[in-house]
Amino acid sequence: MRHAMRALYPRTEALPGLEDTDDAAFLARYRQETTRLMWLGLVLATFVFVSTPLLTVYLPLPSFLLPRALLDRHAYRVTYSRLYLLRQAVFLLKLTAGLCWGSHPSVRAKMAMAPYPADPDTWRTS
Amino acid sequence: MSHVSFRARGEDVALEADYVVVGSGAGGATAAVTLARGGAEVALVEAGAWRDPEHYPSSTYGAMRDLFDDWGAQVTRGRALWPIVQARTMGGTTVINSAICVRTPGDIFAQWERERGVGGDALAARVWAAQDRVEAELCVEEVPPAARGRSNTLAMLGAERRGYESHWIHRYAKGCEGTGQCLQGCRKLRKQSTNLNYVPEVLERGGHVLSCAPVARVTLEGNRAVGVEGRFEHPRGGGAGARFTVRARRAVVLAASVTHTPVILKASGVRSPALGEGFRSHPGTGVFGVYDDPVDMNTGATQGWASTAFRDEPGLKLETLSIPFEMVASRLAGGGLELMKRLVEYRHIAMWVHAVRAETVGTVRRGLFGKPVVRYTLNGADMRRFREGIQLVAQTHVAAGAKKLILGIYGMPYSITPDQVGMLADAPLDPRAYIAVLSHLFGGCTMGADPTTSVTDGAGRVHGYEGLVVADGSVIPSNLGVNPQHTIMGLAQVFAEDLLARA
Repeated sequence: MRHAMRALYPRTEALPGLEDTDDAAFLARYRQETTRLMWLGLVLATFVFVSTPLLTVYLPLPSFLLPRALLDRHAYRVTYSRLYLLRQAVFLLKLTAGLCWGSHPSVRAKMAMAPYPADPDTWRTS
Repeated sequence: MSHVSFRARGEDVALEADYVVVGSGAGGATAAVTLARGGAEVALVEAGAWRDPEHYPSSTYGAMRDLFDDWGAQVTRGRALWPIVQARTMGGTTVINSAICVRTPGDIFAQWERERGVGGDALAARVWAAQDRVEAELCVEEVPPAARGRSNTLAMLGAERRGYESHWIHRYAKGCEGTGQCLQGCRKLRKQSTNLNYVPEVLERGGHVLSCAPVARVTLEGNRAVGVEGRFEHPRGGGAGARFTVRARRAVVLAASVTHTPVILKASGVRSPALGEGFRSHPGTGVFGVYDDPVDMNTGATQGWASTAFRDEPGLKLETLSIPFEMVASRLAGGGLELMKRLVEYRHIAMWVHAVRAETVGTVRRGLFGKPVVRYTLNGADMRRFREGIQLVAQTHVAAGAKKLILGIYGMPYSITPDQVGMLADAPLDPRAYIAVLSHLFGGCTMGADPTTSVTDGAGRVHGYEGLVVADGSVIPSNLGVNPQHTIMGLAQVFAEDLLARA
């Protein structure tokens, strides 16, 4: 899952990538907190991303075996797939990865935004 | 006074009150406080947790987890999967919306009278009087100059140059600081969501509030509603807790939202041929303008500018909308290095949106595991309006000085220059080509005089049942063409006054 998400948000000279964030901790937390249906959707979306290089870069390989340049081309083209459900699956992956990437202090600093305070995760109990 | 939050299994809760109100958003909270002010004992039952501003999350992840219904994952079933944005927290969607206050247009009451046999001048006068009171109580004010931010200011400039009417939005907000956090709940206590005012007032007036308490069904004795029941749900993970039952001595008022109210009624055994029918919405999408100087759309009011100049023809509302950065990251097209290159422009982009006054009608049904299923696909005429709205937003960006436009339309270039705006006249009419959102919802329990085509009468009373009233957006039988919160509040207050008058 991290492989697919990191391919969508790779490190560049201008911006940190998902690999520069604590994506493992994010995913562990997400798995614990989200609904089963959302998690299942994310697993399926990852499967779609991994299994479709044949449609995008015309190689019968899973995405994690692609060389870096081809993986990047796959990450780009799969978001423009002619198959709507495939596009939607990758959108879910991108949205989830974006929640991690876009909230990271190093990324927000690049956009002149203050870091988020921690989410309290509390509520009125009485 | 009492507030009962999550209770573990075995700690069952049983309460009794004059009125049970289900849902604490615009409709439920307004109905509840009106009944409480009338001297009634009220029990307000909310599916979500009670979070005050100090409990609000800051991140979008936290907002989806803590405030959004089903993590924001509810989507339409139809040709395209478009998200339906609703909250599940004390205060309902008033916590996560932009608090936009627009009076119900007069033509709406005439339309309801003509088409549904309800409404007319008498209802208009009462709803507007109720809206007067709400505006005073919730400190409705125009977005102050210091909170407008550059995105909203540019939109005003663009509209002026295009020569159409537009305005700074009036909102239920007191001294907005322009932190751009409306969608995550206003931690600055500026937005007057109902969890901060009406719900506490219900408690102060001797009422009861249950949170983390999704109602499974209304309890019926014959054709009379006598209460509600369900199981507490833990705010973290949704684990089932104790049972709760709340007995209503006089009536049950349902205001659980356009998607949940029809499902609760269905699960309760209420029979009506119109139940779940007549679902309508304002679907919309955004166009990003890219400007030479930084816009920093995350500063300033989330939504500070709007135009209703196109409400009648072609049937559109235009607004600014600054979505959180994390969402922009997924909203910009592409992936990999190209996406990262595009994201570098973030500080220079402004997102403005349209909302279509759509004619399309859909349905709300009870799906697997009791969740609502919304079937809805925009028809051709609405898709043409949708496309026209995109053109109008794009033209406004150009007039405001945008150097390019980011479209997010499948089958079209990622971005276009100002002299290419004409291309949008040929943009696709397939809903699948767009990333859109349904934000204003109507129908599912529509009101009307005829029980064969409506669920409630003009006072929100469910046809054929005693002591059962609906007081949320689901009774609204037409598309308003403006933001619905004020209309929902006005109707809820009127329906509650009618209940008191009949008691």
